[in-house]
Amino acid sequence: MDNVNPNEKSQGADAKSGETGCEGGGHAIEHLHEAEHDLEKALEKQRDAAQEIAKAEVEIKEAIREEEQEHARQFAVEVLYDGVKKKFEVRIEETVKQLLDKAIAAFGPLPNPHTLSLYKDGKELADTSTIKQAGIKPHDVLLLRPSTVKGGA
Amino acid sequence: MSVLYRLEWGMLEETFKHLRQCGDGRDECQILWLSSWDMPEVISKVVHPKHAAHFGGFVLDDDWLNKFWMELGDTNMGIRFQVHTHPGEAFHSKTDDEFPILHKPGFLSLVIPNFGLGAVGFKDAYLTEIQTNGGWQEVPIESRLVLT
Repeated sequence: MDNVNPNEKSQGADAKSGETGCEGGGHAIEHLHEAEHDLEKALEKQRDAAQEIAKAEVEIKEAIREEEQEHARQFAVEVLYDGVKKKFEVRIEETVKQLLDKAIAAFGPLPNPHTLSLYKDGKELADTSTIKQAGIKPHDVLLLRPSTVKGGA
Repeated sequence: MSVLYRLEWGMLEETFKHLRQCGDGRDECQILWLSSWDMPEVISKVVHPKHAAHFGGFVLDDDWLNKFWMELGDTNMGIRFQVHTHPGEAFHSKTDDEFPILHKPGFLSLVIPNFGLGAVGFKDAYLTEIQTNGGWQEVPIESRLVLT
């Protein structure tokens, strides 16, 4: 037992050391997988955050647009007559009749203007209302059409 | 100013079919002839408006008219003729003069006699056109319309 070859002992120690080295590599790979998993989760969170930012930006733009529409004092609307659209600048204090007259002149002149009215969302607009009172907003499309269409022998 | 419109024979047949089926020899009925703003002289669509009718007249439905007005804009089409029937003789009544679908110079209104129950064609039909002063003036059918 006393005559143990130091080389043999050393070899044994190296072999043990080699085993320990293998176990350490396994842990490292495991850590690597965990790190990859964490990275994927982080990237996913980043993507979600980017989507939320984009959504928030759209909502902000929409809110700004609505705010501008709400408080715009002068803006453009379109009037549609016989399949043709024309743009008109209006001020909120103008009357519907003023816009109606401008539209009739632009599309014509159209004879018998008293038979024509402006319509918004299917409703005839009162001539005496202001643009604001009539609820006309920027970019609205208003219909210029006769109030009544009928015939009879 | 005046335009000579082209109408396919099949569209005239379609028009008479609507006038007869809807009017059924009892009520007046109206049809509209449309064409594209890109090629106004070629009638390309026959429209049968939603309306209430009786022996001596008709009234277009208001909601239908709103939707139709938007559709004209969306499809780039314009109304060139209104066509309607009378129980007997074809002419333009005071109501016809005052309440057309369009009131602009050059717009045409064709009246078909006897609820459209006669032969398909323009026999005894009456065509009138809005003038620049807003009044209506009878015009020969062949001066404004050619069948193809």
